[in-house]
Amino acid sequence: MTKKGIKQLAGKVGGIKNLILIPLATLWLLTLLLDIFFVERIFSPLGYLYLALGIVVLLYVVWPLYTSRRLVQYYWQRVKRNRLAVLGLGFILFLILLAIFGPLFTPDPTAANFEGKNMPPVGFSSEESIYNAGTGQFITKATSGSWEHPLGTDNKGRDLLAMIVSGAGVSLQVGLLATGIAVALGTLIGVVSAYLGGKVDNILMRFTDIMMTFPFFLLLVFIIFIFGPSLAFIVLVIGLTGWTGVARLIRSETLSLRTREFILAAKALGASDGRIILAHLVPNVVSLIVVIATLSIPGVILAEAALSFIGLGDPAVTSWGMILRAGQQSLDITWWVAVVPGVMLFLTVLAFNFVGDGLRDAFDPRSSV
Amino acid sequence: MRKTWLKDYIIKRLFYAVIIAWGILTITFIMVRVGPSSPADKYLANLAARGEEPAQVIEAIEARYGLDKPLHEQYISYVGNLARGDWGWSFSTSMPVTELIKTHWIYSFQLILLSTILAALVGILIGIYSAVRQYSKTDYIATFFSFIGISIPNFWLGVMLILLFAVQLGLFKTYYDTAVPLFSLANLKQLILPVVTLGTGMMAGYTRYTRSAMLDNLRKDFVRTARAKGLPETTVIGKHVFRNAVLPLVTIIMFDLGSIVFGGAYLTEIIFGIPGLGRISFNAIFADDYAVVVAVTLISAFLVLLINLATDIAYAYLDPRIRYD
Amino acid sequence: MKRVLYILLLVVIYWYVSAFSLLLFHSPSVVSQPKQEAPPPAKEAGGVFISGTSAGDAETLNWILAADSASLSYAGHTVDPLVTYDNEWRLQLRTAARDVEVSEDGLVYTVTIRDDLRWSDGSKVTAEDYAYTLESLMFSDWLNYPYKSDWQEEVGGETVFVTPQVVDETTFTITRQTVYPEFIYTVRNLVPYPKYIAVKYEGDVEAFTQAPEFNNLTYTGNLGPYKFKEWLRNDKFVVERNPDYYLGKDSGAPYFAQYIVKLFGTSATAHAALEAGDITYTGIDPDKVSKFKKMEWINVYTVPTTGYLFLAYNLRDNGWEGLKIKEVRQALSLAVSKELIIEQVLYGFGEPAFSFIPKVSPWYVAEGVAQYGVKPLLDEEKAKELLLNAGYDKPVKLTLVTNAGNDERENIGYLVKERLSAIGIEVELKFVPWATLLRKYLMNKTLGTDEEARYNNGVGAVSEEPWDLMVMGFSTNPLSPSGQDVFYSTTGGLNFFGYSNTQVDELFRKAKSAEALDEGARKELYAELSRLISEEQPVDFLAFQLANAGFQKNVRGIEPGINMGYNYHLWYFE
Repeated sequence: MTKKGIKQLAGKVGGIKNLILIPLATLWLLTLLLDIFFVERIFSPLGYLYLALGIVVLLYVVWPLYTSRRLVQYYWQRVKRNRLAVLGLGFILFLILLAIFGPLFTPDPTAANFEGKNMPPVGFSSEESIYNAGTGQFITKATSGSWEHPLGTDNKGRDLLAMIVSGAGVSLQVGLLATGIAVALGTLIGVVSAYLGGKVDNILMRFTDIMMTFPFFLLLVFIIFIFGPSLAFIVLVIGLTGWTGVARLIRSETLSLRTREFILAAKALGASDGRIILAHLVPNVVSLIVVIATLSIPGVILAEAALSFIGLGDPAVTSWGMILRAGQQSLDITWWVAVVPGVMLFLTVLAFNFVGDGLRDAFDPRSSV
Repeated sequence: MRKTWLKDYIIKRLFYAVIIAWGILTITFIMVRVGPSSPADKYLANLAARGEEPAQVIEAIEARYGLDKPLHEQYISYVGNLARGDWGWSFSTSMPVTELIKTHWIYSFQLILLSTILAALVGILIGIYSAVRQYSKTDYIATFFSFIGISIPNFWLGVMLILLFAVQLGLFKTYYDTAVPLFSLANLKQLILPVVTLGTGMMAGYTRYTRSAMLDNLRKDFVRTARAKGLPETTVIGKHVFRNAVLPLVTIIMFDLGSIVFGGAYLTEIIFGIPGLGRISFNAIFADDYAVVVAVTLISAFLVLLINLATDIAYAYLDPRIRYD
Repeated sequence: MKRVLYILLLVVIYWYVSAFSLLLFHSPSVVSQPKQEAPPPAKEAGGVFISGTSAGDAETLNWILAADSASLSYAGHTVDPLVTYDNEWRLQLRTAARDVEVSEDGLVYTVTIRDDLRWSDGSKVTAEDYAYTLESLMFSDWLNYPYKSDWQEEVGGETVFVTPQVVDETTFTITRQTVYPEFIYTVRNLVPYPKYIAVKYEGDVEAFTQAPEFNNLTYTGNLGPYKFKEWLRNDKFVVERNPDYYLGKDSGAPYFAQYIVKLFGTSATAHAALEAGDITYTGIDPDKVSKFKKMEWINVYTVPTTGYLFLAYNLRDNGWEGLKIKEVRQALSLAVSKELIIEQVLYGFGEPAFSFIPKVSPWYVAEGVAQYGVKPLLDEEKAKELLLNAGYDKPVKLTLVTNAGNDERENIGYLVKERLSAIGIEVELKFVPWATLLRKYLMNKTLGTDEEARYNNGVGAVSEEPWDLMVMGFSTNPLSPSGQDVFYSTTGGLNFFGYSNTQVDELFRKAKSAEALDEGARKELYAELSRLISEEQPVDFLAFQLANAGFQKNVRGIEPGINMGYNYHLWYFE
């Protein structure tokens, strides 16, 4: 295949990135089908979502960022001025490190040890009373926190720090993946709908309306209750039901973009619809996509926590919502089990909100950062 | 002003609304009935102990509630009854669905109304202040404060508030008492904690929107003109800038009111023991009570659609540039 | 238009803000005290008793349709059974004029009801109502009463109903063809439906289900201490004092003006309410009891219950084959310490169980019953030895299932895993949702057949998913342990673990036959059953749970025990 030939082919599909995407996507699909119908597990369901997200992000986010380094630097300067955003970014980085390397330093979060249950964090002490049915008296035992379990243990003796670390991983994964799905879907629908207009727009917007009018949380609970809670499924469902806001926002932005001169010029030059959408419109809404994505992640994380809290979370996975659920029962005696994940959730959500806001201010040409 | 196209547009939208609502109704109906669990599940353990055949028992229970007929028959009779005002019988609570909704919606509504007002009030004020004094220390603090609201998981906040204010300090009752008359001060008092819990979560949206809308408007020429005219700053901001931002804001408020009546406040309701529609609908899901689930989803959807339509119409009147066709 | 909206908004905001601020500045005192009305002098009715629960709302007040205990308990405030029991199992007459009489041959039961019972329309409650309730409602095909098998018997291979017969206005008989000495307990629990109303709905189950008289308990007359007032779903169930209560004629009972069952989403919120004095009573979780015992304004009573926890061994073909050997089961039971479980999981609120008959039962015997799981039958070395002898010296991997979300059972799972690992058995824990547990692990059917899955399709059937150990809980009737044959006899409807032993079957059969008419003989039969079962270890009985009831200090008349609610109509506020 000559260089010219490749370029021509790329032109037909709307860019070289798309050219690379097609074979990768087909490979992904084939592997998935193979996995479902023929062979024993190749990848876990979550793995497939990661692969898909990874491919898309690599091609459409990392690569463009790499090629336009000066632009990235410019925006980074603007973001840096917003101190809250930088703090948020720092915290998120800390979380990522915690999630990746934490498990190496902490014990197994599912290892129950009833001898050491209900231990308070370091520096606190608590008492536990066991009833003796024979005498009708209580035997009280005082425990104080130790560095062996810096954040204490829950009522099964599991190390809280280990559970928090595991929960960090879960929240980040869910946040990333579910948002990824929602944003990808929403962007696609939003851009296509706005650009093609007319009947397509009408149908797609009606469809979006239907999805939007479904009470979101109710729908979530509903589907998971019927089909069973597994993490991959929860991620999928949150993603597939949360794209409507994204679609609307992207659509209005695209609507204003499509009347701009550079689009008209591309059209005049004979570019195909596909090329215009993928090579011109999408890259220009990228900044909006990034902001929306960052601001959607907290919502997704809270949705997963809420689901775990009401008992619809994946029981095989230790997530912050699950810890909260167990902990809120005994808030008055083992307060640390509920307080710590609550604080972590709070800080994580806060961090993403700050970063998202900061990004938005940085990308907004009108604001004088 | 004359908008001849408006009537056609409204009719078209109403038509769409009916179709969408019907679509939602059908999808929900199918989803509930197709699920693997059945209302007879909770009988199974009990009854098998007596040597009954589970299959026969399930059949009997379902016959009691008319669930044994084929799906399309159930659907047709359900829709038919719907049209006649009979929304079915909720077997998990043993009462007609219309009764159930009528008795409980007010609890959700008052909670959402007050929360929205609180959130809007505080959020807007913070937003205005933040826009006017952009990048000052107070801007950061105020924004930070509204962010806190949205970041604290409201189910966690609720539990903490009860523990602190109701149990430790004894300022409030530990649960919502429905014996208290609805339009009384005592009722308002016991709504304080739940409203704070729910409202703080909604605040940041208003703050953000107000802030950006105000910022947009503050740079416009008419503001400079107003200032040049010598008007006091408060009039400039309060009367001119704010008024331009208010209509979309009201839209957001109305949307919030309509869309979370049925389910968004669920967690708050469960923690504070408020018997609102959120709890009812979720319990119905867990009990497989399809009549309630479908009814609630339908009403919720219809509300949202109507509000959307009302908003679009209001916009058409207020912004002469807008035209839908 | 804009202006109007703006003004409207401001008005609404202003109104609520001023209302809020009024409230905040005019709050009553902050002291945390039990919020009761001024307590009345003893024996005069007054006060509102609020019972808090987090166990879930009832399904219906039309109790004959219900299978959940909450429905039966709600309706139970408005209608009494024939007879009830105090904490020592002594008979307490209710709507019966005297105890149910049993004929010599054990086949005819004669019930005499009181003369002064009235429905709400003033008409007399007669034997006709009772007989009608049995024959036309409970036994009918169209209604499908969930517990109708309580009234059935096997005659010549066929299942038939017992025969009720009206004798006179206040007397009726129930005639059996086979002897079942413990049938009397079923009879004693009988509560009637009003014939004059029920006839209107006869044959139409949908109309019966929706009947307003039954769903609003409007017919209950003087049959119960309270009358139905209001039921706000998922919130509260309110009944008010029935001044016509037949037992209250001389005593003036009940002594509460209202009795409310208040529902809470979680037990934590119920506890908070009790602590703050907002409710009168609730059950207290084991880990909170010591905290509540320290509160001077709360009384906590520790009472036995009829619930027990056990570890089931899968004796079906899809479980570990070793479990089919008695010695292997004994080995496992030797390793699991019951006292440890009671201490760690139940916080001390339990008693070790060795058979299905609790200490509070009049049929309880301890002699000869093997006490596995407690010293001296708590011996890891002996366990390993038994395993070795049975041929299992290599490490074994087993699966333990239980329902997710139930803390107690999950914790027991962890403890069992820990203890069994000491004797070389590796346990994998699986927590699944309750519905899945029922459908895929409990229900079973014979492979290769078309039959419907049931909880016991015979010894050859297997469940859909394989399992080896399961943590479960059952409840037992201390008065009639023979009812436990549903679990332990070969054809028992709930024998999901596939246990089969002809001796056990025979003992159960005898306990339900004429041979058990004599109470001494019955006790012997139960003693032998307990001994046999404890040796066989089809399941490892773990513990009978103790419950804790927390009351505000000003409630008087409480007698703590296994049936402490029996005299609740005599409780009062001081």
